[in-house]
Amino acid sequence: MDMLIARDVSVTASFDGGIVPVIQELSFSLPAGRILGLVGESGAGKSMIGRTIAQLLPPGFSVASGELMFDGQDLIRLPAETRRELLGRDIAFVPQEPLSGLNPVLTIGRQIDEHLGRLNFGHARLRRERALDMLNAVHLSHGADLLDKYPHQLSGGMCQRVLIAMAFASKPKLLVADEPTTALDVTIQARIVELIAELQSREKTAVVFITHDLRLAAQICDNIMVLYAGRPAEVGPARDIFSNPAHPYTRCLQLSNPTVSGPRRDLYALPERMPGLSAIKGIVGCLFAARCPNVIEACTKALPPFIDIEPGHVATCIRPEATKAIAPPGLQRAELPQAGQPLLEAKGLTKIFKSSHGFFRRTAFAAVKDVSFTLNEGEFVGIVGESGSGKSTVARLLCGLEKSGEGAIVIADRDVTDGGAVSRQHQRTHVQMVFQDPQSALNPRRRVGSIVTQAMEAAGGSTSAERLSRAEALLSEIGLPPEAALRFPAQLSGGQRQRVSIARALCVAPNILIADEIVSGLDVSVQAQLLNLLMALRRRRSFSMLFISHDLSVVRYLCDRVLVMRLGEVVESGPTEQVFASPSHAYTRALLAAVPPDDPTVIWNPRGAEVAAPVLTATL
Amino acid sequence: MMTGVLPLVGRRLVASVFILLIVSFLLFVVLHVLPVDPAAMSVPPNATLAEIEAKRVEMGLDRPLYVQYGIWLGQVAHGDFGTSIHFRRGVLGLVMATLPATIELALLSMIVATVLGLAGGLLLFHTRGTRTEKAIDFGSILLLSTPEFLWALFFILMFGVALPLLPFTGRLDPNMSLPAGTGFLLFDSLYAGRPDIFWSAVRHLIMPSLALGIAFSPTIMRVLRSSFLDVYQEDYIHLARLRGLSERRILLRHALKNAILPTLSLMGVQFGFLFGGTLLVEVIYSYPGLGNLMVDAVRNADLPIIQAVGLAYCVVVLMINTIVDSLYLVLNPKLRLR
Amino acid sequence: MRNILPPWLRSARVIIGLSIIAVIALCAVFAPLLAPHDPNEQNLLTTFLPPVWAQGADSAYLLGTDSLGRDVLSRLIYGARVAMMVAVIASFGAMVIGATLAYLAGYFGGRIDSLIGRAVDVWMSFPPVIMSLILMVGLGVGLRNVILAIVIVDWTRFCRVLRSEVLVVASKDYIAAARLVGFSHWRIITREIIPASLPLLITLVSLEMGIAVIVEAVLSFVGLSVSSQTPAWGQMIADARQYIYDSPWNLLFPALTIFFAVFGFNMLGDGLRRTLDVRLTAVQRV
Repeated sequence: MDMLIARDVSVTASFDGGIVPVIQELSFSLPAGRILGLVGESGAGKSMIGRTIAQLLPPGFSVASGELMFDGQDLIRLPAETRRELLGRDIAFVPQEPLSGLNPVLTIGRQIDEHLGRLNFGHARLRRERALDMLNAVHLSHGADLLDKYPHQLSGGMCQRVLIAMAFASKPKLLVADEPTTALDVTIQARIVELIAELQSREKTAVVFITHDLRLAAQICDNIMVLYAGRPAEVGPARDIFSNPAHPYTRCLQLSNPTVSGPRRDLYALPERMPGLSAIKGIVGCLFAARCPNVIEACTKALPPFIDIEPGHVATCIRPEATKAIAPPGLQRAELPQAGQPLLEAKGLTKIFKSSHGFFRRTAFAAVKDVSFTLNEGEFVGIVGESGSGKSTVARLLCGLEKSGEGAIVIADRDVTDGGAVSRQHQRTHVQMVFQDPQSALNPRRRVGSIVTQAMEAAGGSTSAERLSRAEALLSEIGLPPEAALRFPAQLSGGQRQRVSIARALCVAPNILIADEIVSGLDVSVQAQLLNLLMALRRRRSFSMLFISHDLSVVRYLCDRVLVMRLGEVVESGPTEQVFASPSHAYTRALLAAVPPDDPTVIWNPRGAEVAAPVLTATL
Repeated sequence: MMTGVLPLVGRRLVASVFILLIVSFLLFVVLHVLPVDPAAMSVPPNATLAEIEAKRVEMGLDRPLYVQYGIWLGQVAHGDFGTSIHFRRGVLGLVMATLPATIELALLSMIVATVLGLAGGLLLFHTRGTRTEKAIDFGSILLLSTPEFLWALFFILMFGVALPLLPFTGRLDPNMSLPAGTGFLLFDSLYAGRPDIFWSAVRHLIMPSLALGIAFSPTIMRVLRSSFLDVYQEDYIHLARLRGLSERRILLRHALKNAILPTLSLMGVQFGFLFGGTLLVEVIYSYPGLGNLMVDAVRNADLPIIQAVGLAYCVVVLMINTIVDSLYLVLNPKLRLR
Repeated sequence: MRNILPPWLRSARVIIGLSIIAVIALCAVFAPLLAPHDPNEQNLLTTFLPPVWAQGADSAYLLGTDSLGRDVLSRLIYGARVAMMVAVIASFGAMVIGATLAYLAGYFGGRIDSLIGRAVDVWMSFPPVIMSLILMVGLGVGLRNVILAIVIVDWTRFCRVLRSEVLVVASKDYIAAARLVGFSHWRIITREIIPASLPLLITLVSLEMGIAVIVEAVLSFVGLSVSSQTPAWGQMIADARQYIYDSPWNLLFPALTIFFAVFGFNMLGDGLRRTLDVRLTAVQRV
């Protein structure tokens, strides 16, 4: 029986004085006990579908047409009170940000109890027993202690487990999981996915699984719907879509994702980005046409209809047969510069953060412990680790933003550990850094041209005309038009901002670039653009780079050597291919196992080889 | 819960003592650069220069300032705050006689400010996005622009002069005498079984406490409204809706507890200011509290009183801050538990 | 036509606030031209005249006369001089001190921050009214000392709010990036941090002007502001309070004047806050 059926649902928003389509022609059916994956990049409208199911749309948004049948009732036309009765009872939600999903001033126990109270689970003692059972079911040990804790005392993964326990408390018929793992560490992500799948199959729940990760969706979902700019691009069985994509967008998404196993292949980078709300209205024809490699004139004339590829597999593309031919351009790795002399040496770096809680209690926490490595001329080295591994602290130590407690840093034959004025000057000319969050890394009040030439401003002695022409040269190097120099960061997209951030670092022509998680939080197509840009810059400028990331596939794509960090220590290091093919440390193996395999027919065992506590198991 | 709070409160108290020491030293310095000669004022008007000089040596006024401060601090430690130059009475007694009246006024005003502030804030939030909100918001700026002494004057004009409904001088009707006891009139009169005195005291307190309370309510209103708006942006509110909780329950159980926190920390600051604001209201209503004692002392250049009263204000403000901070700790688990 | 104005000038609140302040400022500057009488000219034969619209008024005295027969309107106009002087100079003084300390505390952090934080704590334990009163006792009366007292008392208002804003800005990566390309501390503060906090600073100054007007009125009300020869609004209230039954008008006019002045500054501040996109936390927003 179909638990949720969408028939031609469209959602509109009033925007800039007009009505803009946010979701168009959404149709699917989801049987009980099955998982439907909604896949797309940000702006594809996938979260809006979750909000449409709950009918909790942001102000200005409304359902224009269609029906959304849940268990025989149309959710859109149901009276608000009746619908509210369904929420949390028959329809449950798991959010993206577990830490902010729980009320910070109420204990876990109070929040669970409130939910159970609403579900009429009897008197207080029964409810408490039930709560403990629930925590047990999501594999949280010490349930009784947990009930008295506040959310900030738990890790993100534990909060997500609590929220999942609450979602399944009522044995819901439908679960909407909106990017439930995106905010979590890789190894935790895998566990959460596993847990949802376990409970889902036990309770025969229908699940709408919203994610940006096509690989993950292919692994756990029965059916997948790929969305582009609010309109379905392709719908079908998960494996079909993954192994035989009919829509060029699906194919491009797949090709823009670097792999963790098999031969290293080059990335396909889609140009530009998905049209935003303001642009959609003006597009005639296929919404993807502007970025599509297979575009023909007919594509821009009319919105493509739903075309059957196979039974149960449809795509909104008029040339599905051409999709297979899309392939990334070769990047000619052979031309890459060979690694030379050591340029940067870290010897026994240690950083201890002290914090005081009052007069007597002081705690010290070693963020980085005895980290040593070298970075050679022209070499790209990756540092991989989860949150709390100390990888960002290493970056800040190396560029002098943080002073190390012990150890030495030698850059281009000069020991800069003392942090004196001369050392700082030396460090600055050799090392530059690109930051994780381009929003925070660019002063919103400066124009792009002034941002990228800040180094010249600091050095003094340059005219504004000189700076502007230098800015334009830098911008063209990182793939932005010269007129971007006059824009403000707010007028740029996330990917463009990150390019500006790179241009600023390149202005002093450093021989070492430190990149701290510069592609995390970006969509895969934008990520592919940036990674290809870095490869192109590497060929042209032959600098060395320390690339810090939690994403193993990205590191594999970019780096010659890799260091794996965990709890402030380097647990494994070596040539990238060697580490990925035959990891020697259990933690590296766990990290690799937690990534969904590139081939959906391979059975994914996210636990891989078991690793001892404390990082992976939930601890209090 | 209390185990986490007590050490933090203890630390706050220790810090308060340090602050008090610094404050008392600053007070001492400011008041001793005065052009007034305390020695000359504490001898009979017909005293000779030599006598004044002797008095000065006796009072330690020829020694360096920090030594004088040390002497003064030593005396204070023994409960000796000096003798009023004007009243020729012990300063401590004068302060203790007036302090309860001021605290009584301040407490009532705080209640008025809290009730009006919270109610107004809830109303502002409840009517968000409507014309009513705009009107109340504009009204709150009007309130914000009317300091307590203007309210006090407007009230006198309205309910004392134009419509003579309420008395506006003193604490009691002239024919009544203060019952003995704690000095807190509302309490003492009830304890003594004198409802007539209680009623008179209430009538005398209405205008001053309203004036003070109203003046300090718009800030509370606006902060509560803003923190509600902030809290309603949070994921846990959205998720509570997705869990099917009613709007009423979300507001009272989930949002209020979070929104009250910033409001509370503001109230700590505001109530400190409010306690200072009693001075003007007391002067305007000839209310026999610390404020009138202070202003009289200022007019008479009565340094021992100014010093002691200034210190008394600080002690009470620090107490208010400590109480509010402790309450904040009780309500905010993030600070209490790590 | 309206679009060529910057957004902050299109706000009704800003326009209302600026208009009120402009009227008061004009009164202050052109007081000798605008005032119909000498503000200190006494006429003991015509005391307690009511305003022109009431019975028994003299049309020469638009708002009536006080207990010494002085013209109330002229005294109000001249009183704007003290009020505006105090509002402008004291606010800027408090801003300069408070903002400087806030930038130092927020940017450098550590010991500097905790030292300044302690100082703010000490100041906060003193109700502003009490502190300014004691300072005036120590300093003695006079316009200069009133301004000085307000600066000494009110710098913390800037320091507290601005410090937390500076902390937010200083933790941004673009500050770290500026350090990496070789900006000096001075250049980072002046080129990166001050521009970011300017809208907040402007808003705070405008609100502080309102507060300064109140404090001056309070001080002159208890006789600790300018000398009695200089007309001041608070003084007028203090005088009128003794004759409240003889002439309530004498009390009402200066009280309303103070209200409008403060209202003007508050409207301006509130309008600026909304339009200059000052992102404040809930507590700072008031």
